[in-house]
Amino acid sequence: MAHAAQVGLQDATSPIMEELIIFHDHALMIIFLICFLVLYALFLTLTTKLTNTSISDAQEMETVWTILPAIILVLIALPSLRILYMTDEVNDPSFTIKSIGHQWYWTYEYTDYGGLIFNSYMLPPLFLEPGDLRLLDVDNRVVLPVEAPVRMMITSQDVLHSWAVPTLGLKTDAIPGRLNQTTFTATRPGVYYGQCSEICGANHSFMPIVLELIPLKIFEMGPVFTL
Amino acid sequence: MAPEVLPKPRMRGLLARRLRNHMAVAFMLSLGVAALYKFRVADQRKKAYADFYRNYDVMKDFEEMRKAGIFQSVK
Repeated sequence: MAHAAQVGLQDATSPIMEELIIFHDHALMIIFLICFLVLYALFLTLTTKLTNTSISDAQEMETVWTILPAIILVLIALPSLRILYMTDEVNDPSFTIKSIGHQWYWTYEYTDYGGLIFNSYMLPPLFLEPGDLRLLDVDNRVVLPVEAPVRMMITSQDVLHSWAVPTLGLKTDAIPGRLNQTTFTATRPGVYYGQCSEICGANHSFMPIVLELIPLKIFEMGPVFTL
Repeated sequence: MAPEVLPKPRMRGLLARRLRNHMAVAFMLSLGVAALYKFRVADQRKKAYADFYRNYDVMKDFEEMRKAGIFQSVK
């Protein structure tokens, strides 16, 4: 989860999120370059008494400030498309879970090796234990294995929702009547948080997502789902 | 006695010269800012991730977290 006053991205827990962080650094570097250039030009404009009210025919300058932004856009687009196609790579997931959005909770279905289905509601403030996170913790967490490709099938039973976990670089819309798929492979165990990311009514901010990632061999032993 | 004649000052193209010189400086400085961000932030971050995962032990990390009591599914 994010710590207080955090402005940057959360640490990555999947290779795709690592790639996204590297891309974000690349795009931000270009942003700083352009912003510095523009601020310097603004400073120049504001600190001179010299004027020229008859500027015309600046063909060379016009060519430069057309070609250079086009090159910059290509430099941003190429790594962006690379990551986009990387997220769609077929990696033969070993485990599939369905996530169904409701107003205002999530239902998770583990139907690969049995028929486990449960709801995941946000813990109301009165039910919080010491150490629990307000507005983030839920009664039943999603338990998943680390270092194994997992497929999430996401849909909704009523209105639009979105299933998001920032540390894994995941955000997939839950659309009624449609099954969206997202896959991920986590690299670290732990407890990771996300929140519904599509406005869905009064309690849109109060239907969080909590993943509990545990090593594959512990997961295979069948951890106790606290239901 | 003839008075000393000063050289004729530059009287035209002052703004153009200022812009030409400063734009060259601006481009160099902005490339410097980008290079600073790349080497001091971006490359450091990549190195931090590589160093973290080089000798990372999933089970050891998991055991520490389990003993700290953060998991609900495994105690």
